[in-house]
Amino acid sequence: MAILTLDNIHRGLIAKSQVEVFQAIANTAVKNGYATHADAVIQGLKDREKESTTGFLDGFAIPHTKNAAIQRPGIIVQTMENGVEWSSMDGQPVKIAIAMLIPESEAGTAHLNYLSKIAKMLMHEEVRKQLTHAQNEQEIFDILSQYLGE
Amino acid sequence: MAIKIIAATGCPTGIAHTFMAQEALEQAAKRHGVEIKVETHGQVGIQNPLTPEDIAEADGVIIAADKDVQAERFAGKRVIDVPVGKAIKDPDALIEQIISGNVPIFRGKEPVTEEKDVNVETRSGSGAAIGHTIYKHLMNGVSHMLPFVVAGGVLTAISFLFGIYSFDPKSSQYNEFAATLKTIGGMGMNLMVPVLCAYIAESIAKRPGLVIGFIAGMIAYTNGTGFLGGIIGGFLTGYIMLGLAWAFKKLPKVFDGLKAIFLYPVIGLFIVGLLMWVLSSPMEAINKGLMSFLTGFQHSNPVLLGIIVGSMCAFDMGGPVNKAAYVTGTMLLGQGNYYFMAGVSAACITPPLVTGFAALFFRKYFDQGERNAAYVNFILGSTHITEGAIPFAAKNPLTTIPILMVGSSISAILTYLFKVQVPAPHGGFLVLPVVTRPFMWVTAILTGSIIGAILYGFSRKHSTAQQTENREGIASVI
Repeated sequence: MAILTLDNIHRGLIAKSQVEVFQAIANTAVKNGYATHADAVIQGLKDREKESTTGFLDGFAIPHTKNAAIQRPGIIVQTMENGVEWSSMDGQPVKIAIAMLIPESEAGTAHLNYLSKIAKMLMHEEVRKQLTHAQNEQEIFDILSQYLGE
Repeated sequence: MAIKIIAATGCPTGIAHTFMAQEALEQAAKRHGVEIKVETHGQVGIQNPLTPEDIAEADGVIIAADKDVQAERFAGKRVIDVPVGKAIKDPDALIEQIISGNVPIFRGKEPVTEEKDVNVETRSGSGAAIGHTIYKHLMNGVSHMLPFVVAGGVLTAISFLFGIYSFDPKSSQYNEFAATLKTIGGMGMNLMVPVLCAYIAESIAKRPGLVIGFIAGMIAYTNGTGFLGGIIGGFLTGYIMLGLAWAFKKLPKVFDGLKAIFLYPVIGLFIVGLLMWVLSSPMEAINKGLMSFLTGFQHSNPVLLGIIVGSMCAFDMGGPVNKAAYVTGTMLLGQGNYYFMAGVSAACITPPLVTGFAALFFRKYFDQGERNAAYVNFILGSTHITEGAIPFAAKNPLTTIPILMVGSSISAILTYLFKVQVPAPHGGFLVLPVVTRPFMWVTAILTGSIIGAILYGFSRKHSTAQQTENREGIASVI
């Protein structure tokens, strides 16, 4: 199954905290068959965040975890109605979280390259703008797929 | 001629930030019209590797990494060394700095740390940067030592289950299997100090440091300096080996092979070995002195005696000070004083329990590995294997050791006040059946351990908060 599907993208969450965002991401991950246990995914994302923030610029964050509960690599996108405090690099609250889930035993390196591609494309300001202004899940999916396909 | 820059990026997970930094640097280079080649140290390994020619031709090097990217290769080049987050957040400043040429030349093994780059905002003064470097070296030693403590400690603890004298052929409890277990476990634990010493030195001076560090650690171990001697030995070795590298720099290239297999080990060992020997030889005298001092106190006020015994046992956990208290205790056992040993045992059991309870109560300030090690310490503490606390103490000795000393002192004071008698020299809680007032003794130890754990937990909380603050300031460790 694909690393990113339209079902992996959810918009408009109203979250009081980072943990609530992680909960939404983990639930999607379990529902779509990427992970076995939501709790383990949440803990993994929290642990990674403890090492240092994954909050980035312009309201973007790329939470990620490599975890035994994850069965196959996936990208989960969750956007928030309100900004969530993330100690991000530019101090802005996060509105778009693009989560990367990595299985403990990763056989093919191709998948990892996909994840890295997503990280790289976020370095381009125009991509961040496009994503911020996307009107629906399909638009977000199209933007991300365009870079994954390259 | 166009300016050529090379860079190496890396982060612990190796999925996201490594490549974001690569992209950021490449874009910034394009904006400034300079050439750049970025080597990435990601989850899939090293990609786009820098060749010796790339390094030779480069006008400057940017290291944007929170992991080792083999910086030794860049000796003699102009090198900026920053956390990976810096390159993501402000790549232009780094490129501009290289273009300006205002970058110190990277000498030998010690990377140019962040405080030296002028264009980059830094909250941390040079003191903080040096502190960070020392902490990094120390942690390299501690993380390599930890499994030795756990493996050796647990096997030793298991052997005690066969009876605390099961290793002694003269005892009726003697069991060959248990004796073998204790010997094997002991060997694991005996390697602790050499491994700690070796990997501190390795972190500072790479492989030449590792070799001499192991031997310096053996000297520390043999002369009974305990883990504090191992730490001192590690730093001593590391910096002396760096000094040697600097001294040999002028030698022609043809001697490179000779340097690695002959000059560094032989000359290094000569200098470090003799120095370590001289530094560690007074240990026996210190040990003897402390013992006669302590024997004089055996009938003094229980509070004073408890403070002295507790502080000594927790101070170096297996080093000369601890040994003085322990040996005095066993000696007095021989003379029929069972009270003194009760306090020593309580004080020796307390430090590992402090770390165990702290990890239990203050879960979020310990990472997964530390928590597991801390929980194993319930077993090690309960069987009088004080060494379990060493990895925690070695991580931040100046704060942690005083806290452990307070915990152990409380345990010892209460033990003396409760007039507990312990007729066995080791075994921890396994000897409870022969202890007089066993319930009081356990209460004393738990009280000291829990108070110590609360203090230790708060110290961890405090240092975590400080780290977070630093991170926000310089957007470091991604």
